[in-house]
Amino acid sequence: MKKAKGRNVSLAIMLFVLTLFQLTCLFTLYGKADPQYKTDILITFGVYILVEYIYFIGARLLLKRRGFEIELIAFLLTSIGLSITSSVYPDKSVKQLIAVLIGIGGFVFLQWLLRDLNRATALRIPVAVLALGALAFTLVFAGVTNGAKNWIYIGGLSIQPSEIVKVAFIFVGAATLEKLQSNKSLTKYILFAAGCIGALFLMYDFGTALIFFFTFIVISFMRSGDIRTLFLVCTAALMGALLILRFKPYVAKRFMSFGHVWENFDTSGYQQTRTMIYSASGGLFGVGLGNGKLRDIFAATEDLVFGVVCEEFGMITAGAILLSYVAMLVYSIRHSKYARSTFYAISACAAAALMLFQAALNVFGVNDIIPLTGVTLPFISRGGSSIMCCWMLLAFIKAVDRSTYRYGGVRQ
Amino acid sequence: MKSISRRALSLYFLVLLFLAGVGLLYFNLMTHADEWAMNRANRHLYFDGALATAGDILDTDGNVLVTTENGVRVYNDNKNLRIGTLHILGDSDGFIASGVQTMFKDELTGYTILDGVYNLKRYGKGNDITLTLNSAVCEAAYKAMGKNRGTVAVMNYETGDIICVISTPSYDVRNKPTDISTDETGKYDGVYMNRFISGLYTPGSTFKVITAACAVENIPDIYDRTFECKGKVQIGEGYVICSGNHGKIDFETALNKSCNCAFAEIADELGAEKLSATAERLGFNTQNSYISGRIRCAKSRLDFSDAARLDIGWAGIGQYTTLINPCHMLTVISGIANGGKSPAPNIIKKITSPEGKTVFTPDRTQMTEYFTPDTADEMNALLRSNVKNEYGDWRFPNMDMCGKTGTAEVSDDPDAKPNALFVGYSQLDSMPFAIIVVVENTVYSLNSAVPIATEVMKAVQAEYA
Repeated sequence: MKKAKGRNVSLAIMLFVLTLFQLTCLFTLYGKADPQYKTDILITFGVYILVEYIYFIGARLLLKRRGFEIELIAFLLTSIGLSITSSVYPDKSVKQLIAVLIGIGGFVFLQWLLRDLNRATALRIPVAVLALGALAFTLVFAGVTNGAKNWIYIGGLSIQPSEIVKVAFIFVGAATLEKLQSNKSLTKYILFAAGCIGALFLMYDFGTALIFFFTFIVISFMRSGDIRTLFLVCTAALMGALLILRFKPYVAKRFMSFGHVWENFDTSGYQQTRTMIYSASGGLFGVGLGNGKLRDIFAATEDLVFGVVCEEFGMITAGAILLSYVAMLVYSIRHSKYARSTFYAISACAAAALMLFQAALNVFGVNDIIPLTGVTLPFISRGGSSIMCCWMLLAFIKAVDRSTYRYGGVRQ
Repeated sequence: MKSISRRALSLYFLVLLFLAGVGLLYFNLMTHADEWAMNRANRHLYFDGALATAGDILDTDGNVLVTTENGVRVYNDNKNLRIGTLHILGDSDGFIASGVQTMFKDELTGYTILDGVYNLKRYGKGNDITLTLNSAVCEAAYKAMGKNRGTVAVMNYETGDIICVISTPSYDVRNKPTDISTDETGKYDGVYMNRFISGLYTPGSTFKVITAACAVENIPDIYDRTFECKGKVQIGEGYVICSGNHGKIDFETALNKSCNCAFAEIADELGAEKLSATAERLGFNTQNSYISGRIRCAKSRLDFSDAARLDIGWAGIGQYTTLINPCHMLTVISGIANGGKSPAPNIIKKITSPEGKTVFTPDRTQMTEYFTPDTADEMNALLRSNVKNEYGDWRFPNMDMCGKTGTAEVSDDPDAKPNALFVGYSQLDSMPFAIIVVVENTVYSLNSAVPIATEVMKAVQAEYA
């Protein structure tokens, strides 16, 4: 009981620190905002902090939960992302908030869904069909944005179905392998994965395709442990990648500037060099929210957002963000030992690994450590589909922790 | 379940990979942050590619040489001063790479890895830099140079503080000539180069100071020697030509008259080994001079590897392939003036933070021992004798001036005009200053470099003595 009490106190303290940080961001934003957007910003942060409290208090008092590390990290990262979005695009802050709320809703819903594994795995076929359907629909009806054909416009909203499909991809993968541990189910999953990745290729969204492929490898490995097969798959994929480079010169061009961004300062190295220049300008503690210059560069709040964090929040905060992704994977790995079933272990590890991998592609890409692929930074980058996906993936990580459902009463 | 959790453990490999990447990222940031932040594309610091937000640069008396007004770098209103100090200050566009504004960008912008450009955001500017420059002397030097090309610099030989650096041709930053990049007449040759810092010149007879020092150190009876000058002297396979026909002269007179015959013979006697040993001890081939520890000067050179006897004779009088850097030469002459120890050249007097705190003052105790006190004393007397007995104290009234002229042939073409040099210093305690003047493609040094030195030293006298 003593230990439980200690955890309780730490939640209160952590929540207090988190709120303090968020209020600081809010006041900074509010002070600098154009008068016409002051209300928007107030609403965005007010509602966000309120939802945050409802979540924590609800989970603590109604569900009698104890551990909140994962949510604390996610709420913190999301508020950094929300701050940057509200600061650069104050007119889009409420829209981003809505996406965040949908994401949190999805997170809560998925937690509920995953509590009963039989109920959840029964959905794997419909989800797989829906996922493939969504990608197929995108392929047919999507508009082309920045070379990739992965956006769907409905009303005033733009949706990137491939982001949401990430959740389905992990769900289907983990569920299929849970249900029938036979080669037939593995084959089905390989077909599903091939369908998803193939669709992404056709959309020219190679960054996301790479993430799917990586996730597929993680899931397959967790399931089979067969290194040789994975080696074969990777070799095949590498050959496929070489073929793309051969036939899609614009992808090859990106790789060309890799390692030579300073020589291609104003052309193919533009985004990377600016990210590095302004990251360095921030120093360890940053120039302060709203004071940066990287924000004026194209895709600053999406692909280059890590540079904005470095510049405005400082390299220490930026480093803490990177360690957050590590923490989520380590959390998943550690809890998978005690997971109630392989589904939880595989889905949590896959979800956390996906986010870590995506963060690596984003951060190391813009800093010229690896070629630039143009993917978002989980929880930080602006974009509704992306933030929804991240929150929903979080449900897998949350679900692997036995204590999540222990006090819920359904399963012990 | 067990196998799954064991496989999960291997995901730690991904964690390690990621952490390695993060490590590399932060290593890159820590080691390159400075260079990246100072990039011209950084709009915290530059506007339209020109340094826009930086601290002030002041002269030694606190007069503002450059400041920032409304995001634009504004230079001093005095046109001659503006043009004269262009090279040492550097331009806002960074064409003049060795200028203080370029070399001390970090300080001027207040950039640190810790705070980034935060200070700039907070105060609107970085640190102020007070230079050791004296505006009056700089202006006088620029005027004295007139249309000549070359360089003039004055340094305090006790402290290393540089009070004047001029390099010509120069231009007005307020009204930059439009033909500067298209000109083909050569009037802007090396306009972006600070000749004092980056220049390398054939020393001509100024090198006799070094030959003489080597002789004083290595030939015990040098003062008892007499030399016979008949206008030329045979050394090895050929002849070294003298500017006069000096007859029978002793060592001191030989230096006074700058007799090539005598010095070629001395160099021949000393030989390549001893001459290069002295030169290398003084920094030739081995050391770059650094101004304020950061602005790197060109390295003086002397190479006897393929030298015949005659070549060494020529080298002894400052011809052959020997090249000196003006800043380096000024430190050598300062070593003589300062009893053998030469101070490190210094352009920064102090750096003041936006809050008014002094964040940097130079360490003026750094000395290089170029000569023993005895050699320095003897050289001091010889150089004093040059002015007193040869050039005339009337040229440098009430200064107790010491020095050596040089007229360096820079081409085999008989019509080509030589470079004229003068190095010297005042012995007065009230004005412990050494000077170097280099005038390119001009006339005999007594009629070119020396009058400029006179003008500049008079300005120094007016300011300090």
